[in-house]
This record gives sequence, structure tokens and C-alpha cells, in this order.
Amino acid sequence: MVSNEEVETLMARVDLGDRHAFKQLHSLVAGQLTAVAMRVLNDRSAAEDVVQDVFVGLWNKASSQAAPVLKSLGWLCVVTRNRALDVVRKRPAEVPLQWKDADGEEKSHDVASDNPGIFEQLQSEQDNRQLQNCMQQLEPAPRKALWLAYCEGLTHVQLAARLQCPLGTIKAWTRRSLMQLKTCMEMPA
Amino acid sequence: MKTYWHQHPETIDRLAAEYALGTLHGGARLRFEALQKTRPDIHRAVWAWHEHLQGMLVAEKPMAVAPGQWDQLENRLFGPAPVPKSAAKRGWLRWFGPIPAGSLALGLLLGTVIMPVWESLHGSAVQTQLPESYVGVLATADNKPGLIISSLRKGMTLDIKQLVAVPVAADQTLYLWTIDKDGKVQGIGPVPSGKFTSAALPQEAEKLFFTAVELAVSVEPKQSQPKQPGGAFVYRGLCGKLWKLPGT
Repeated sequence: MVSNEEVETLMARVDLGDRHAFKQLHSLVAGQLTAVAMRVLNDRSAAEDVVQDVFVGLWNKASSQAAPVLKSLGWLCVVTRNRALDVVRKRPAEVPLQWKDADGEEKSHDVASDNPGIFEQLQSEQDNRQLQNCMQQLEPAPRKALWLAYCEGLTHVQLAARLQCPLGTIKAWTRRSLMQLKTCMEMPA
Repeated sequence: MKTYWHQHPETIDRLAAEYALGTLHGGARLRFEALQKTRPDIHRAVWAWHEHLQGMLVAEKPMAVAPGQWDQLENRLFGPAPVPKSAAKRGWLRWFGPIPAGSLALGLLLGTVIMPVWESLHGSAVQTQLPESYVGVLATADNKPGLIISSLRKGMTLDIKQLVAVPVAADQTLYLWTIDKDGKVQGIGPVPSGKFTSAALPQEAEKLFFTAVELAVSVEPKQSQPKQPGGAFVYRGLCGKLWKLPGT
């Protein structure tokens, strides 16, 4: 389990140009960031490239200057996720979410993951307890839409295809879920 | 009075939420992105949403990092990683461990400056009275000229001028080595201590020194015939050929 305090301390030292801290930081969080990028890209090599770019930006202070918040593990994850999304947006969609095989059978990429679900993961993180509580207050389908959008970078259209729902419903789900989540997250614990 | 959407905090917050979530697309996304660069409040609104949502990313189970990722990153940012000193000192260089790098520079200077000057003053062997010889100007560990060694090209005797003495125990002796261009070290034999001395060579100088680019001296036990130096070199420097080589 990566300690956020440790990450913040290392990040502060990296800002001062400490190469040893930079290596320690890489050792500490590269696996986490690769997982974040991999979730969006579904391509190990591309995910590793993204993580490299994030670290290059971090060292060159290219991304850190644009941070209006404390640079934490969460911040690093967001930067990684955003960069991965940039990659996805630049590349053409090569594989449809749904297709018919040679026998005419409907196929879909929306298969159950072997990885633990997001809620199981959130439950294991003390810091995420509030987010977990708030997410649990959402209806299952909107909750899933929110997670797929944020963690896998799916668009409204892709969410509609993945969740087999009308586009208007998806848009309403995400909008409503975000506001519910915000209200819940801003409530005193 | 007309107002714009980005003047309404509620609208900003709603769009910031969609932007952070990743569901704001097309022109709307680009416009919102452009505004963030000039509007810190919009930038903060986006990051406030990320702070709400980032727990989902942090909850991802870390993956194993592929070997070499750090090396690639280090190489990209800082150039090739420095090879550990022990690995870098390949061949004969490892025997120079305790000797400062400046000593090598001195040896190079003496070898490359003195020799041409000598040749320019006296001309090549073809034109002068000086016989064709091998000459080595070796520096000490503290970067001073320490030892001059010479031998006639076809000679069997080594003449030694010791400019700076080094401590040698009673049961030890100075021992001469050649080093070829590949760094291979070859033992020649014991060298006596003293201001002006000479030693018999086991073979004609040409056979012993022709492939040498460096000469070096270590301290070894008396009566020994070491295959490799038993310690750091106490003198070392270039081995010069004092005659006109073909094509020069």
C-alpha cells in the first residue's frame, strides 16, 4: 500500500531536482500509474509510454506547474489518466465495442473483469472510504457509468453501447450521479 | 445585459464535472480547455472534481512494472546511465584504480608532447644520430613525472631513470608491465630502484614493447613472476617509439 505522505514528500523533493527521490518515486508509484493508464488504453506498451511521459513531465515540471492542488498520488493518477485519455482521443477507434462474428453471433467487449471490482478495491482503501460510501448511494447502473467514464475513459456514446442504454439516459445518469456524488463528498464525514 | 455561460458558477461547475469525468467532447471540450488556461477559477473547478473522483484511480491495483522501465526513463532524461566504476574499469584500466586521472593526462602529455618535440629537435631516426629506441615517461600516483624508461629498439637492456622514488619494502621489488591497445597486461620483469639503474630484458625490446601503448610499474614480492599486478600501479605512462614509423 503506497503511503500518500511518502508520495507527497518525494514529490516535494523531486520539485527541488532530487534525482534519488525521483527514482524512489518511480519505484513507488510506477505500478499504480501503469494500472491507471492500462485501464484506459488496454495496451500495456502504450500504458508504459504514458507513464514515462508523466514522469518526464514531472521532472521537467511541465505538468506540475498546472496543479492547483497538492501533488499527491491521486494527482499523479489523474495526470496519468488524462494523458492516457489524450492518447485514446488521438488514435482512431480500431475495435468496435460490439460486433458480429462470422456466424452472425453478437459479440461485445463488455466482459466481466477478472480484477476485483472497483467497490471491492475502494473498500480496501481507508482514504477512499468516503468515496466508497458516496458511490454506494448511487444506483448501480449510473454508478457503473460513472466509473467506466472516469477510469476507462468511455464517452457518452461508448457508455450507451456498453451499457445498452439510450444516449439520453446515459447523459442524464452521469450528470445526476456527478451532482449526487459532489453533494455527498462535500458533506462532513 | 447579456451574460455568458462562463460567468455562471453553476454552469462552470457542471461543465467542469463533465470535463473531469471525460464526457465533455468535441468543440465544447476544446473551448472549455482553452478557457482553463486563462481562468484559474475554471481550472480549480476541474481539479476540485478530480479530487472527488480520483479515489477511483487510486483504488486501482498496481501492476508489476516491466524490467527496464526506470532505465529507459533515466536514459531519456539524463542520457545513458553511468556504468558502475568496477565495470567501467575494463582491461588494464582497473589497475589504475588508486591513481588520479590527472596522472594519465600527465602521461599522455609527456608521451605526446615530449616525443614529438624530441623528434622535432633531433629529427627522426632516419635523419639523426639518436638510435631507434623505446621510451616510456611514467607518472607517479600524485601526478608527477616519476620514471623514465628507455631501451634500444633491438636492445636487451633497459635503462631506468627514477625521478621520484616510491616506497618498496625489502622483500619487494618494482615490476614492469606492458599494456597493449586492448588493455591486455603483460609482465616484463623486475626493475631495480635507484636514480640511474639498468636491467636486462628477457627478450629483445622490439618483441617486448612493439605492441605496447603503455608501460606501468607495480610493487611485487621479490623472486615472483606474477601473471597480473598484485596491486595498483605506482608508475604508469605512454610507451613511445623513437623512430619514424612508415607513413608518418
